[in-house]
Amino acid sequence: MLMEDMSEGGCLVVSLKEKRLDAVIAASFREAMVARIDQGQRNIVLDMSQVSFMDSSGLGAVVYVLKHLGHSGRLHICGVTPGVMAVLKLTRMDRVFKTFDTRQAAIAA
Amino acid sequence: MNSHEPLRLVVPATLLDVRAATERIVGLCDRFSTEDRADYATAVMEWLVNVVKHSYAHAPGAQIRICAIAGAEAIELMVEDSGEGMLPWKFEAAPSELDFDATDISRLPESGMGLAIIKSVMDSVRYHSDAGVNRLTAVRRWQR
Repeated sequence: MLMEDMSEGGCLVVSLKEKRLDAVIAASFREAMVARIDQGQRNIVLDMSQVSFMDSSGLGAVVYVLKHLGHSGRLHICGVTPGVMAVLKLTRMDRVFKTFDTRQAAIAA
Repeated sequence: MNSHEPLRLVVPATLLDVRAATERIVGLCDRFSTEDRADYATAVMEWLVNVVKHSYAHAPGAQIRICAIAGAEAIELMVEDSGEGMLPWKFEAAPSELDFDATDISRLPESGMGLAIIKSVMDSVRYHSDAGVNRLTAVRRWQR
């Protein structure tokens, strides 16, 4: 699984360099994100602009990350594609996650 | 008249193989809008992953039989497995819409969302088990 980290505006921007966040890679994604949080990252922007498909396993991993951050942290998602928005809406999780069109907007929020 | 020949697949019950099968099935869906195609892809993947993780939990690599027929009005999907299956009443009882408090992060669902997705995306969906064969039949119209 390919991920790219960049610090910007006090945030850790994590770009997921995969076309799919699904059951195949959900566990490794979750572990990689938890490792970043456990190293002290509290403000995270997840850039999903390259992810064209997400299933409920992938979404479950993102929910796990949000829970792991808890109320003291922040997880914003940017670059949401139609395939990712589909599962957010189908599960009504679009009410939970703060999504932004651009990375800059997510960092500034 | 069908716009595509029926797609018949026999795939090993692995996550990578059902991912590829989902892409083949969605390849028949050129009549959907972008949004509907995304919804349909999600629902198909949900069921196939369910078969791998649950019905064949103790039989990795067993076979899943798939038939998808793109008709004039709708696409029909049939998925068969010979695994442990699911109690049909549990399938029937699963809600078609998830209900949770979006403000209570600690209680957000991390799993168990697949059946709700399938039921909300498909226009009709039936599941039954008979003689050791579990079969899901789901129909989704091109236009709602």
